[in-house]
Order: sequence, then C-alpha cells, then structure tokens
Amino acid sequence: MQEEQTTRRRFIVAALAFSGVAAPLGSTWLKSAAAWAADDDAGLDELGRMAQLLFPHEGLDDRVYGGIMSTVMETTTDDQATQAMLDAAANTLDAARETSWLDLGAEEQFAVLQELQDQPFFAGIRETVRFHLYYHPDLWKHIDYPGSSKEFGGYIRRGFNDIAWLPEDE
Amino acid sequence: MARQYELNDASVVVVIGSGAGGGTLSNELAQKGIDVVCLEAGSRLTLADVVNHPPTMDARMGWHDKRIGMAPWICKTVGGTTMRWSGATPRFQEHELKALTTYGQFDGGTTLIDWPMTLDELAPYYDKAEDKMGVSGTHGIPPSAETNNYKVLAAGGKRIGYKEITSSRMAINPQARNGRPGCQQISFCNSGCAIGAKWSTLYTEIPAAELTAHFELRTQSMAVKINHDDSGRVSGVVYRDADGTLHEQKARAVAVAGNVVETTRILLNSNSSRFPDGLGNSTGHVGRNYTRHMFGAAIAKMPKPVNYHRGARQTGIIFDEQYHDPERGFAGGYELQSIALDPWGTSSSIGGWGPDHTVFTDNYTHLAGIFITGEDPPESVNRISLHATERDENDLPVPVIEYRDHPNSLAMREHSLKQSRALFESLGATHFWGGDAPVGCHNMGVARMSANPRDGVANRWGQAHDIDNLFISDGSAFPTSAAGNPTLTIVALAIRQADHIAERMTQKTL
Repeated sequence: MQEEQTTRRRFIVAALAFSGVAAPLGSTWLKSAAAWAADDDAGLDELGRMAQLLFPHEGLDDRVYGGIMSTVMETTTDDQATQAMLDAAANTLDAARETSWLDLGAEEQFAVLQELQDQPFFAGIRETVRFHLYYHPDLWKHIDYPGSSKEFGGYIRRGFNDIAWLPEDE
Repeated sequence: MARQYELNDASVVVVIGSGAGGGTLSNELAQKGIDVVCLEAGSRLTLADVVNHPPTMDARMGWHDKRIGMAPWICKTVGGTTMRWSGATPRFQEHELKALTTYGQFDGGTTLIDWPMTLDELAPYYDKAEDKMGVSGTHGIPPSAETNNYKVLAAGGKRIGYKEITSSRMAINPQARNGRPGCQQISFCNSGCAIGAKWSTLYTEIPAAELTAHFELRTQSMAVKINHDDSGRVSGVVYRDADGTLHEQKARAVAVAGNVVETTRILLNSNSSRFPDGLGNSTGHVGRNYTRHMFGAAIAKMPKPVNYHRGARQTGIIFDEQYHDPERGFAGGYELQSIALDPWGTSSSIGGWGPDHTVFTDNYTHLAGIFITGEDPPESVNRISLHATERDENDLPVPVIEYRDHPNSLAMREHSLKQSRALFESLGATHFWGGDAPVGCHNMGVARMSANPRDGVANRWGQAHDIDNLFISDGSAFPTSAAGNPTLTIVALAIRQADHIAERMTQKTL
C-alpha cells in the first residue's frame, strides 16, 4: 500500500527542470546545519539524521525524525524489501567516506546525500520519510496546519476568505 | 424502493460502474422506467465513513488493483471517482470539439479527430448536467464563495492581464439545494465530501434511481467479461461477487463505465472466437488514444499568509488561455485553476528534498497553488493493454498503461508555468515551483466516439460501431480531451445517451 502510493503518485523530479526555485540556499542551509549538528547529542541515529537532512524543519524536535524511522523499522520487520532498503541506506552512507557518516559534519553529511541521491534506496527512503513526516501531527503543528476540519464545521466561519493583504486593483 | 432482478432476467440494461458516467446513466434510464442493474466493483460508503484524512480515505475508496505503468488516480467505490473529484465543471468549447479541423494533426503521429457532434447539440445536455449537479454560477445557482487561494489567483491573474476569471463552475453547492447542504469550506474534497455538498453519484443519482423501482445496485460486484450471443449482440455480464463467486447477469444492453482502465480491460477480456481482439475492437482502437490532459502544477510562497488549506480544494478558473493560437508555440489551450494541497500533497508535488524543498513546506501557511489542465492530443502509442501472461488477484490479466507527454504538451506546460510564475510574482511571491502533475485523474479516449468506424470504437451516441447494444458511457468515449475537467461532459453525454437508448427502445430497435 505504501509502496503503491509512492509509485502511483511519483511526482517526477525531472519536473524541476521548470523550477523557478530561487532560494538563497547557501546561507539558510549553513545556519540550519550548524544548529542540527549541535543537536547530535540528542542521539539521532543514522536513519533519523538522514530523515532530518532530507526535510529539514528548523525547530522541529529531533525525536519526530527519529520516531518516524523507528516506526518504519518496527512496522516493516517482515517486509524484506523495506528492510533491505534501510540496510542499504545505512551501509551506503557509511561507505561514502573514511569516517562513519554520522560522525561527519553537517555539510559533509549533506554532500554525501547529494552524491547518493540517484541510488535506488534513496528515493524509497525519501518518499517513506515524506509520507510519514507530512502526515505527522507534530510537523503539522510546527507549520500551523490544523488537519481535519469537519468536526469544526470547516472553515466557513474560520477564515477561508480572510486574506487582507492583496492589492486592490480596479 | 430498490428492486432485485433475477440473473436470467434478460430485459435489464446492465451498467458497469456507478460513477459520473454509470451512475448518471443508470438514474436517467431508471427515471424513464427502464430496468437497470448497476454493477459496482467497490462497496457503498456513507457520509459517516468520510474522514478528513487522505490516506485513510484512499484505503477506503481508492482503486489499488495491480497495474503495470503509472495507474490513474481513480476510485473503487459506489460513486466512483465522483467521490474523489474536485468538482470543477467547465464546458468544452466549440473549437475543441473540432480538434482535427482546428489544429490539424500534430507532428509525431497524433490521432486527432473531430467530435461526431457539435457544441450546439451538446449544449442542452450541458444545461441538464449543470442543473443536476448544481454547478455554481449557472441556472440561477449563486457563484461560489471566494477562498483565499482563489483571491490570489484572481488578483494575480488580473495583474498579468487575464479577464475571464471565475470562482464558479464548481459542482459544489454554494448554498443548500435539492436536499444537499451548502459548502462549509472543509478542504478535504478529494477524500470525499463529508457533508455531501460536492456532487457525487453516491448520494444523488444512486438513491434517486433506487426510488424509481427500476434499479438495482450490486456492490462489490466486479465485472470481468461481457458475453455475446450467436448473432454477435451482447447478452450478459459475468461478474465476481464479494465472495469471489462468478455470476452472469443477462442483459438487453450493456453500458460500460469503468473508467479507462477497467473499460479497456473488460472490452479486451471479452474476446471470443467471433471477436478475437475483444469487443468493439474490430478496428483496433480499444485501449488506444488514451489522453490524460496536459497537467501542470505551480506552488508559490507568497509574501504573507494565504492559508490555502482553508476552503474547497479547487475554487477558481482562468479561461483566458483556453483558445487556439499557434503563435504561443503549441496547439490548443489550457485553464489555470486554483488548487490547495495538504502538507503531504504539497511536498509530493514539489518533489525533491533538502532545504530548497522545505523553504516551501516550512512556510505552508504562505503557499498558494495553481493546477493546470490543457488539451492533450491523442496518440496511438498512449494506450492501455492487457499483459500477455501476468494475472492479478481476481485472475484477470493485468493492465499495462503506457503514456507519454507529446511535445505539444511539453511546450504548453512550459508556457503555462511561465504564466503561473508571472501571476504569482506580480503579487510579490518570493519562491516559485512549477512542474508536471502526473496524477492521472482525468482519463479519456480509450474507446472513443467517431463519425467514421475506422477512427474509433463507438458512434456519436457512444454505441459501439460493431455491436448495437453495447455502449461506452464514461470518459473513455471522448474523441479528444479538450482542455477542461472531463466530469461535466461525461455527465452530459450520459444524459444524452440515456435519451438515445430510451428512444431506440421505444422504436424497438434496441
């Protein structure tokens, strides 16, 4: 089911050819990376750290990333394909440099991920993390997304049309 | 109340599928006193089963049977994909129904044809469909309320010179009508509308048909094969029930509305010594000319909050680019529609990873979205076929889905994304992502209508050229894709087809 969803809605990365992304990546990245590196003591393991670097939300508790990967590991113990994917991730990350990946600095960790992003395991982990992270209540809270609304009567009286900053063109 | 028909009752019309095509056709026939058995592969949900959690609802109503190739995003449930659709209901335009005449064939082997009907012929049925579905801004129905995301679309659209902008043309009640409530801006339209404000056959056509006493819905009844008699006319439908037992329901006529994959599979899987290539397939068109629309998506980070999750998923359309002008570098046109996605949908659309991804998702409250749907030329190589050896859990041959974007679609997408970017940047957007949106929720063309039997599967009534009591009743019958969302046209054609079937029965020619 998970794999099916991932496959079915595999939004093509090639579409980024049309991308207009103009983020000042360097500065944002370095600042955040330093912050996460300092958090390493909190004890994210390799896969948890990978999850965090895949979708870095500054200020989101490390335990969300760690918890996602623990859940994936625990709920797929009988799923050989997923276990193989997780093993491949850990092994490949560690083989990339002389030092184990987790001991690398944040920039170097990110560089390794960039080098490995076309490896077969990478898309599997990326989409697994994407699914679990973006349906995670703590992530929702972090980005001010409230989730289910029907029990609150939707947004008809809760701001569906409250935008007030748009220009008043004729 | 609802009837029960005997399996050997050969007086019934068997309709395969209960969505926009099959559900509508069933009800229209039943209203005329024609007995109908509707076979639906999925089960029957109630509004109480609808929760605001897309993965849960995908498990409850999504179609997950094995496919090879990217499967369309459709539903196996009573109501079919009308449970999942967003509700956008633009009409097709005159030039689009004359696709070959207007555009000519494109380079690279397109198979465009003209529709075997004019817009004037279709217009009265569009009127009926809009009234039935409660399309906002038509037939005295108020316009749809303007959501935040719509307001961004409209304000930016105006700034870059667009004029044909509406929040309406949505089959979502702006206010209570015909026993269904007005929209509460819940935002989970694609998980099924929890209050029934969005039109779905589950709580409109199906119960209306049941009240006629000329209709039986059989749920968890998966049609696998259509049988024919010695004269070559169809005579019954074999289906698999919830326990896996096969039955044959005899039929006076059969209408196929399984959405493109199942419609193709049923026709091809019904091969016989008389029809070795499957039913309706003497000219080899079944499964071919599969069109999905040129899809695109654009997401921008705006300077201030939009909160696009508040309100209906799709709430606005810009029509200005829906015309034909080769000067733009492509044939045919497209519509820009506002769309809102949940965090996972947003992340999946943008794709990729890392900080250049999370600059969007971390600023979720500031995002605005556009969905682009445009004319997609039919090509013979875009097709659905059956795998020669591989079979699924129902012991049916696994469908193989092959689809590629024509260069015309790539050029159109590039243009549409440039326009989307300009629209958002005119309002101060700081980050823009645009790309493909290969979800496969608009599915058309695999058993198309054609004036000349050489060019398609069915005539102008959706009646198979080869077999006069076999009908195509879903988007599969579209000769070409046009630019707009297909459901309104599916419903209009189903109403029109019901008139034709009734007339033929009255004349005793069916």
